Amino acid sequence: MLYQESSFGNGFPVFNFIKNVADNRELIATLAWKNITVRYKQAYLGLVWSVLKPLMLMCIFVVLRSFIGINSGNVPYPVLTLAALSIWTFFQESAADGVTSVVGNASLIRKIYFPREVFPLTSVSTKLVELGINFAVLACFMAWYGILPGIYALWVPVLVFYTVMLSLTIAFAGSALNVYYRDVSTALPVLLSLMMYLSPVIYPLQLVKNKLLIEQAAGAWSGKLYFLYTLNPLAGLIDSVQNVMLRHQPPDFEAMLPGFCFTLVLLPLSYLYFKRAEAHFADVI
Amino acid sequence: MPIVEVDHVTKEFQLGQLVSLKQSVVNGLNRLVGRPFEGRKPFKALDDVTFSVEGGEVLGIIGHNGAGKSTLLKLLAGVSTSSSGRVSVIGKVAPLIEVGAGMVPDLTGRENVHLNCTILGIPKKEIARKFDHIVSFAELEEFIDTPIKHYSSGMKVKLGFAIATSVDAEILIVDEVLAVGDLAFQRKCFDRMEDLIKRQGRTVLLVSHNIRQVERLCSRVLLLDHGKVINDGAPTDVCNVFYELSDKRILDTKLSAATTSGRTLTSGNAEIEYVVMLDKRGNSLTAFEYLDDVEIRVGYRILADLPDPIFSIGVHTTDFLYLATSQSIGSLSTGTLLPGHYVLSYTIHRFPFLPGVYSLRLGVALGGSFQAVFYSENVLSFQVLGKQINRAVQSHYREGFVGLDGEWELTARELTDASSRAAIAT
Repeated sequence: MLYQESSFGNGFPVFNFIKNVADNRELIATLAWKNITVRYKQAYLGLVWSVLKPLMLMCIFVVLRSFIGINSGNVPYPVLTLAALSIWTFFQESAADGVTSVVGNASLIRKIYFPREVFPLTSVSTKLVELGINFAVLACFMAWYGILPGIYALWVPVLVFYTVMLSLTIAFAGSALNVYYRDVSTALPVLLSLMMYLSPVIYPLQLVKNKLLIEQAAGAWSGKLYFLYTLNPLAGLIDSVQNVMLRHQPPDFEAMLPGFCFTLVLLPLSYLYFKRAEAHFADVI
Repeated sequence: MPIVEVDHVTKEFQLGQLVSLKQSVVNGLNRLVGRPFEGRKPFKALDDVTFSVEGGEVLGIIGHNGAGKSTLLKLLAGVSTSSSGRVSVIGKVAPLIEVGAGMVPDLTGRENVHLNCTILGIPKKEIARKFDHIVSFAELEEFIDTPIKHYSSGMKVKLGFAIATSVDAEILIVDEVLAVGDLAFQRKCFDRMEDLIKRQGRTVLLVSHNIRQVERLCSRVLLLDHGKVINDGAPTDVCNVFYELSDKRILDTKLSAATTSGRTLTSGNAEIEYVVMLDKRGNSLTAFEYLDDVEIRVGYRILADLPDPIFSIGVHTTDFLYLATSQSIGSLSTGTLLPGHYVLSYTIHRFPFLPGVYSLRLGVALGGSFQAVFYSENVLSFQVLGKQINRAVQSHYREGFVGLDGEWELTARELTDASSRAAIAT
């Protein structure tokens, strides 16, 4: 709301963050609704476009797999990769959108005060709607292949929440930096598309595990390399989503741990930087 | 207990663009080895500003372009933070800075009302309650389900104003928003503002270039110049200071541009060497009080014999409206002037023009044939000051240029019989 007292005073940043989100939930919801309405208002196909991207990538990967052969275990490859793509697309797009969100709302930033984290949060909320649609499509595919989600599917909300935190980690620091250096919004899509190949989207994590942990392909460095690989939070996350939805297994906590700890350090730093930079947005933007 | 307090606030901006990577590296190296480096210059948009506003007060903020008005409002709205000093505001602030900041062209009027109300912090239930009122105030019932990209610009600002003024905030910040729409709607906006101020007792901070409006609405006015508060007090006084400052500014630009604008015609037989205006004690001046006596002194250089020359001196406005002329014919007989230097003096008693900036024109013609020898406009600009005159009421273009010199009297009429007394009573 429009209260004048500093939204970031004493106390833990975590509590301030939660309070700001709670205070501004109506605003975030309305802005997200606006984003969706505006994007699809003049588009004939509307929300179908948000499904198209993961579906087309899935088709490409299926064709690709017919040449190089990727072992997808006992889960049909199209479903496996679509599950990975749903969560990956959500992460990539919400992070990229979040980074441009502050600069994109320059006219509001210059005129009205409310906690600025509303903008990255709005971007993520907007993409959350599209994730929902993608999950619905995934459910259709699962039904087609006769895969029923088990009890572990209850983990899905937790994993989605974790993905939101990952997107925000990039969006907070990125959007604040982008106010000063527009290079960020140009560089980020490139980096993110590279990151997709470092995440188990095209291939399952099991292949990496086999190569490094079982075959010890890199010799003495294998363990360290696997650790580095799982330092990417998306590695453990995507695998876990596939586990709980398709393999009837609990999340792979071991693979998630390095990335989770990494995020636990980065997210508060990213948020603190955002709140420090926030005061100068209106002057610089 | 003041609800807005601004305490020694300074706001600095870095001038210029983001430096290039190369420049950053060079600056960084120079800083390391302790050599002076070329940084960006800071610019003080606000310089040690201190004031406070009590609840229910209506504070007008006036000043020239770039005086720091909008920067100040941004600090108060919490959009920007000060470089040093303290700004404290108690209560909810609703910024009406450029209404319609959050308008989205693709959304309909209805959707925009919901969106902008939410942005301004109005809860959902309140929006539903106020919706009809907003729409009827903006006179947009017919078009409320049309995307606003099809609206005229007037319709957009009407909607923006209607939304902005429906916020229930203790403090309203208004930046040049009253000049929206056609005359009828402006009237409506003005009434709405008066209603908010006078009847609902809101605290309002108003920035405007419309000094009349400021004087009418505000209970106190702050005059900013180059980031400093140079006057703070009753609207009439501060507005008068502002008018004088404006005149001075016009005069300054006139003085520096005096030689470049205005016509000069000369036969080559006469030229002016200097022009000065003097007060009673003989001091040269470019500004004096309304109704003062002034002497205009012109140094002429005559290059050929001039038989019975007629001198003339006139006053015109800065946009070359000729206001008055005086000719020496009949009151000054010189005979034939031989070549040489002469000083012409003309004294005006009780200079009659109302406060403002004026300029002189001068001419010399030959007696008998009235052939022009020399003529020049915009020779010297000067300013008439008027401390006692309420300029917000008496500005040039509405009230004329000349003060009338007369006497006022008011007496009660003697009533002779009961019938006329009754006629007046009814």
